[in-house]
Formats: sequence, C-alpha cells, structure tokens
Amino acid sequence: MPAGRDFREDDARPGQSTPPPAVLITFLAAICAGIAGSLASGLMAWIAIGAVAMGGAYFASRTASPRKVSSDLGRARRLLLLVDRGGAAETKVPPEFAEDWAQVYERVNKLAFDARTSPPPGNQLEQFRKQVALAASLLSDGKDPLVEAPELRAGPLLPLLEGVKGSSSLPVVSHLSLGEEEELIGAGGDALPPDWPKPSGEESGRVHDAAFESGLRELVQEIESLRTTLAGGPNGEGNPASDDAAPRTPAQLVDAVVLTAADGIEDLAAGLMRANELASVAERVTNRATLLALNAALEATRSGSEAFAAIAEETRRLAEFAREATDTISRLSSEIEYKVGETITAIHATSEDAKTSLAEMSGSAAPVSSSARSARVQVVRLLDRSRELLQSFGSSDAPDQGRDSRARQAVTIRRPGSESRNSAQDNVENDPAPADKSPVEGILLIEGLKPGAHLDS
Amino acid sequence: MNLGTRGALTFRLGDYCFAVRVEEAGGVLDADRLAQLPGVSNPVAGVAAFRGEMVPVVDLAEYLGIERPVSQGRGYALVLSRGPDRFGLLIPEIPRLIPGRDLREAPPANTDSELGDLFESVLENDHDQFHCLNYWRIFETIIPPVASPAGKSGSTERGN
Repeated sequence: MPAGRDFREDDARPGQSTPPPAVLITFLAAICAGIAGSLASGLMAWIAIGAVAMGGAYFASRTASPRKVSSDLGRARRLLLLVDRGGAAETKVPPEFAEDWAQVYERVNKLAFDARTSPPPGNQLEQFRKQVALAASLLSDGKDPLVEAPELRAGPLLPLLEGVKGSSSLPVVSHLSLGEEEELIGAGGDALPPDWPKPSGEESGRVHDAAFESGLRELVQEIESLRTTLAGGPNGEGNPASDDAAPRTPAQLVDAVVLTAADGIEDLAAGLMRANELASVAERVTNRATLLALNAALEATRSGSEAFAAIAEETRRLAEFAREATDTISRLSSEIEYKVGETITAIHATSEDAKTSLAEMSGSAAPVSSSARSARVQVVRLLDRSRELLQSFGSSDAPDQGRDSRARQAVTIRRPGSESRNSAQDNVENDPAPADKSPVEGILLIEGLKPGAHLDS
Repeated sequence: MNLGTRGALTFRLGDYCFAVRVEEAGGVLDADRLAQLPGVSNPVAGVAAFRGEMVPVVDLAEYLGIERPVSQGRGYALVLSRGPDRFGLLIPEIPRLIPGRDLREAPPANTDSELGDLFESVLENDHDQFHCLNYWRIFETIIPPVASPAGKSGSTERGN
C-alpha cells in the first residue's frame, strides 16, 4: 500500500456517487418550459409553469433509484482501506464485491491479516527462543505447555511437548555413586535390594520430564549464546557503538605498553647521557686541579717554602676529593646506563615473546572471523542437542514399553568408559555442565553424568 | 743519606718506574693541548705551550721502545728545565711527587743494563725502585744542539 495515503470510508460510500442523468434532463426541460410560458402567457403563467417544473424536478430526484458502487475506483479504494486496516480474522465480503472481486477481497484480507499478525523473518529465532523458554517455565511449574500456551501447539516444539505430556510421579532415586558394577540405589543413597520393584512408567516419565526440562534450559542457553554471537558478541564485534572506539588487538596492546615503557626508559637514557657528559667535564676539571696541585707541590718542593707547601697540600687534597667524587659519579652513571640498556633489551625481547605467543594462540590468519567460527560450533552443538531430545521423546514406539525402558535406564547406570555407549551419550558427557540444577525434587543426580543423558539398560 | 734532591716525580712506563728529580722538573701539563708537527721523527710527539713558551715534547715510550698502555687521552707532558732550555717528556699518567726524605739511593747491582749510557742512578722507597735517566741526552740525541755563532757556552740553539 502506498505510504502517506489514507483513505476514509466515506470516500467509498454509495451516496456520494454522481446524480442520475434523468433528473438533469427533467430540470432543464422545466426551465425551458417556464421560459417559453413567460414569453407566451405573461408573468403569472411563467410563475405557475416554473413552480410545476421545479416540483417535477424534485419529484424526479427523489424517486430516482441510487446507483450501487460499481466502478473499479471504488473497489480499489475499498481494498486499499482494507490493507491499511490490516484485515480481519473473519472475512466478510461487502455486497459490492461480487464473484471474482469477492475472491480478490478475501485474498487481500488474508494477506493483510497475516502481515499484521506474523512477526518479521528476522525475529523467528527470538520467537523460537521465547517458545522454548515458555515451555521450560511451564514444565518447571508442573503445567502442561500444550494446554497453558496454545501458541506452542503450532510451533516446532510440538513433537517434543507431546512426548512428555502426561508424565507425573514422585522421584525414584536421588543419588547414585559410580561403582565397579552396575547397581541400583535408593533415595538415601543405599543400594536397593534385589527384589526392589521396578519403577513405573510415570515415575520414569517424571525423571525424563526433568531431563527434558534440563535439555530445554540448555537449549535456551545455546540459543541465547548464538544470538549474542550473531549480534556481534560481548566484545562489540559488529556493534556500531564500538566501531568508533576501534578496539585494539592484544598484540597492539603489547606494542603500546612496550612503546610507552621504552619511551620512558629511553628518555631516562638520554638524561643519563647528558649526566655522563657533565661528569666528563667534571673529570677534566679534576685533572686540571690535580695538575695544579702537582705543580704547586713541585714548586713548593723546589723552593722549600713551608707556606707554599701548605697551599700545595690543600690544593692536592681538594683535587683528590674532586677526583673521588668524579670517579663515583662516573661509576654510578656507567652502571645505570648498563642497566637501562639491559632493561630496554629485555622489554623488546618480552614484547616479541608476547606477540609470538599471541600469534600462536590465535592460530593462523584464517579468513573466517572468530565470531563466525564460534557461531558455527554453537549451531552444530544446538543441532546435536535438538536431535538428541527428539530421539529421546519423539519416537513412535509403544508408550508403556518405552516408559518402562526409560525407567530402567533411570536407575541402572553403566560406568563411564563402557564400550557400548553411543555417540549421543558421548556428546552429552562432553558438553559442559548446566549452570543450574533442575528445580524438580528428586531427579537423577549422577556424578560424572548429566540429566538427560542416555543410560544404557 | 743525602741524595742531593728535595724529591722526585715518579711515573710508570711499561714494566719500568722512572723518576725525575724536582730540580730538573719545570712542571706538568695536559698533553691534550699538544700540537703535532709535520715532518718530524717519531719520538717527537709535538709541541706544547708551557708558561708562554713553546716546548718540544718527546715520546719517551717511543724512544725507549716500550709498549705504551692504552689510555683515553694522550697523557701528560712532564716538562724538564735546564736553564732557559726546556723540553717535555710524554708520559701516560700524572706523575707522583715523592719527597726526598722518602727516597734513597739504590745499590748499583739493581740497575737495568738495557738502559745503557742513559742510566744515571736508581732511587727507591719502601715499595718501588725508580730509574733516573739522563733525559737531556735523549733530547740531544733527537734534536742535536747547534753551536752558537757567538760562542756562548751557556746556551745552545737547536734545530732539526
């Protein structure tokens, strides 16, 4: 529908059509007759004839039958109005839409209704996530999702929910420790006697209800993680808000830190070189003082003057003091310069090591981004998990027989490492543990295994 | 024991320790201010300004064939004075002044025969022995004295 164009219902009202041609003809004839009468019979005759003509025209307009909306323009306006309103659940075709136009009206009404009620294609993942979350919430509350949420009956979770419908019982086992052999244990953790009755199908259904709920929770987590990944991840990849910040890679951060440290140390080294130059000047002054003291002592010795000798001795002491200070400054300066050089070398070496390690950690420069790889892995895990749940609850076997089998699976454990484990069990055991435990009391808690895993009978 | 001196300036050159009596020494200056002369033989290191006069400086290590230790600067010039004549000895370190009371004459057996007729005497203290050379003979070997036309015996003119 064209934007900015709004149609009112009055535009398509039948009373707004053009007047019928018979009324106009009658009105014109009456006026012509009045003019002729006035010319022929005078003023009174003109008035009488004019009044009769006007009455006839009025009568003709009243008695003429109104025309129905039959033009294409009117129907088009009605259809546009229908699209603008979004259609209706129940199709009520107006009387002016007959035969083929009625079918067009029905189709437009259906399309408009679907467009108004259906979510955009981009939100299908979010809708699926909401359905899973709703089903998990209802199951945790002990309610039937198919009864409480009618929208789940038309969703992709219908086979799963039908598989667990009708399950309710008390818990059978609460803890099972892994031993060398297969064993049955009770609620207190003790081994069950050999003649302990097998759990019923309803009890096993409760266990599988909890397992299914746990599986659904994992499914919700996976979907949320997938959505986060596809949206750009928490690091802001693909996030417009973080594009301006231009986050740097770890290697760039290492370079920045090293450059900052190296700049500071190189400034220190430059200051140290300046100090060395000043120390060199001080050393030359000390040499001059030493030569002065020596020459003074030489003259004092040659002349034999005690006063001259005393001055020469003081000059010599002053020169020795200056030399000791200069030697100390030169030694410290050399040590600091050596250590600064070592530090700069160590920083550069550490930087290279860090960059090499980062490069090894990030692997080769593959064209596929990390978020895409992560999303692919999560999608594969999600599909495996969904397939596993479908296999668990969507099978078409006899319900009672299946429940008995699952009940035995609930209390009979094969040790991890058994040879007959299937791939699905391996996948489950390799998955990370769920963040929260099932709220259902008394469900299966097995060390080393997770709820929902396939347990061989 | 009267050595006939108030003291001596001592310095080390290679494996030898040498001494210059203070009566012969005119002073010590930094050899960095030494100006090299073109066309002179190797033992002559150059000329230096000492108290307003130009004095030639002889490289003692080069003359004696002693390996000179590596140092940052060119060393020091010990100026010897005999009347109005002066010349310098290029030495690698600042000489040390030892008063005459701390010195004594060493026995002749301890003299170094390699020094030949340059050897004059040996002084010693509690730690070292110091060879006193006839340094003016070294100088006259390098720069022979030229007889004065006036026939004055007290002064000489020297040339290359």
